[in-house]
Amino acid sequence: MGKTKWMAALGITTMLFGSLLAGCGGGEKSEKANGGSKQGEKVEVTLAGWGGNPTEQKLLKQTLDDFEKKYPNIKVKYEVIADQYMDVIKTRLAGGQGPDVFYLDAFEAPALIETGALEPLDKYVTDDFDINDFEKPMLDAFKGKDGKIYGFPKDYSTLALFYNKKMFEEAGVEVPKTWDELREVAKKLTKGKQVYGFGVAPELARLYYIAESKGGKVVTDNKASFADPKVVEALQPIVDMHLKDKSAAQPNEVGATWGGEMFGQGKAAMVIEGNWAIPFLQETFPNLEFGTAEIPTINGKKTTMAYTVAYVMNKDSKKKEAAWKLIEYLTGKEGMKTWTSKGYALPTRKSVAAELGFDKDPLRAPLVAGASYATVWQNGTNLPIITNNFNNQFVSAFLGERPLAEALKEAQKTANSEIESK
Amino acid sequence: MKRMSTKRMWREAGASYLFLSPTLFVLLLFIIGPILFAIFLAFHKVQLLGTTSFEFVGLDNFKRMADDTRAKIALWNTLKYVVIVVPCQTILALVLAATLNAGLKGQKFFRIVYFLPTLTSSAVLTLIFMWMYNQNGLINHVLKAVGLPTYNWIGDPDVALNAIMIMNIWATAPYFMVIYLAALQDIPDSLYEAAELDGANAWQKFWHITVPYLRPVTSFVVVMGLIGTFQLFDQSYIFSGGSGGPNNSTLTVVLLIYQYAFKTLGTMGYAAALAFALAILIFIVTLLQRKLSKEESLY
Repeated sequence: MGKTKWMAALGITTMLFGSLLAGCGGGEKSEKANGGSKQGEKVEVTLAGWGGNPTEQKLLKQTLDDFEKKYPNIKVKYEVIADQYMDVIKTRLAGGQGPDVFYLDAFEAPALIETGALEPLDKYVTDDFDINDFEKPMLDAFKGKDGKIYGFPKDYSTLALFYNKKMFEEAGVEVPKTWDELREVAKKLTKGKQVYGFGVAPELARLYYIAESKGGKVVTDNKASFADPKVVEALQPIVDMHLKDKSAAQPNEVGATWGGEMFGQGKAAMVIEGNWAIPFLQETFPNLEFGTAEIPTINGKKTTMAYTVAYVMNKDSKKKEAAWKLIEYLTGKEGMKTWTSKGYALPTRKSVAAELGFDKDPLRAPLVAGASYATVWQNGTNLPIITNNFNNQFVSAFLGERPLAEALKEAQKTANSEIESK
Repeated sequence: MKRMSTKRMWREAGASYLFLSPTLFVLLLFIIGPILFAIFLAFHKVQLLGTTSFEFVGLDNFKRMADDTRAKIALWNTLKYVVIVVPCQTILALVLAATLNAGLKGQKFFRIVYFLPTLTSSAVLTLIFMWMYNQNGLINHVLKAVGLPTYNWIGDPDVALNAIMIMNIWATAPYFMVIYLAALQDIPDSLYEAAELDGANAWQKFWHITVPYLRPVTSFVVVMGLIGTFQLFDQSYIFSGGSGGPNNSTLTVVLLIYQYAFKTLGTMGYAAALAFALAILIFIVTLLQRKLSKEESLY
């Protein structure tokens, strides 16, 4: 009996020490692999991104395979971070375990660039890379305050008006060209609580361009300024559509999780979504007849949002040359063409866009057209804080709990006090 | 002779510490270390990403809480949650345990059924409930069928926190029920027999024997409940997609800590200060509870 106990104790102790040693050993080994990127030796570069749908994954895999064929001594290890992408990336970067190359949303870029966790890419760029081929606003989104480029945009999405052809026919209305027309059309398309004319996402990411349409600014000098009467005036119609006209609703009011789903289920006749909604609608609701149009003009001006994501390099990466080769390929003409060939995302290179002909595709043309006048979803390092407070209070105005002006005033105050005490 | 014994003492002590060392090492590394580091962080302005920096700011992080509107909302939500959930789940657990212990038919079956919610992970549970809470979901259908008003459980700021409360009471009560059941088995039958001889009815027996006898266990259940509810995070996180919305209605202290620690850059120190404050708050409430329950125990 005594002997068994002793053996057990010894076993557990050995296991504990063993696992500790194994932990240390692992660190040592990986460091060695990092350091030695000698000629002929295979280098493994890690690439992290969020998952997409299966078709997107297949496209990326193909692009990476092509890359590995072109550079046989570089191996790409692709990791999917499915949920809470930025939290995971930030934690891993802080812990010194960040991937060599990873996706970065323009929205998060200024704050991350400011911390110095990213490698500036200017010194790697060669003439062959043809930097002027990129759509300028998308490229500018990843420039630091120092004027250096920290990432190259892999693709972008803009917003467009999606409309249900059948419902428009039944109601006998035309696709709206101005925001006032949209409001009138929405009333005619609404059928009580069954079908709403317009599906709204009451969040800043989707309302930013509307908020600034009357000349007000959401962000001034890296601080919230959305309580500006001009911003309130611009957003008031959205709230009125929900509360007075009862012609607009947010997805969760009809039991949908997002606008595309609400639209697909036939609970909204119009939504404003990006090109990610096109394949979703075609696959999930094959019988739905829908069209896209440019977003109705406000004050006679065309506006929309653009969302873009770049490949960036970790400053602590031990394989910067190989990492750059990967970024160069993925955002180069060849890689981008493969990646965007199916139209899930739009190419940020003008030459690729022209080659793939998305500007002639009936569903995607309005989205491509938007690129030239779109507002990129990004504004300074404090936008995450500003957005959080805006969204919180805008919902309360949208639901009719308090007047919009008052809600935004309080949200602005909270946001700015958070920014000041940062 | 004396030297020998000290030597032996040292050797024995040394041996015992050698045996303890793996455990001590793990404790220091994973429990004591992080706690000390968190306290250290609470007094600094911390930037962990890129160029790591620690700047000593004294009590600034704690002063900041006083002006933080969202911290106040989070604290208010958490307190509301604690005040409603802890008594509800404790009473429900006690009632469930008492009925299961009453010797009814099929009590083994019900014991299993009641305990099932505890076995599900809270993340999965939340997802299932979100599906049921959906505007066109099961719960609204049932409410409609019996002629009660329906709610936008997830989207309406007035009911979102209540939805989480219902979910959590339902999920946690069975766990405490099991603890109560174990304690109930401990009550000597002779007490009930004596009470019966004195002409006590079932209610009187429950109120005058079962409840007082279970007081130490109740104390434990309430303390564990307090700690658990003050730390509410996963449900409201999944419920609101990490935002604490709609309109801050599901923002809890721990969710706020998470947001400051991981969502915004450079506020790790403030997050640590909030966490430290929460720990103190839980500590005080627990002490208060112990004090109160002691004063009551006159039996």
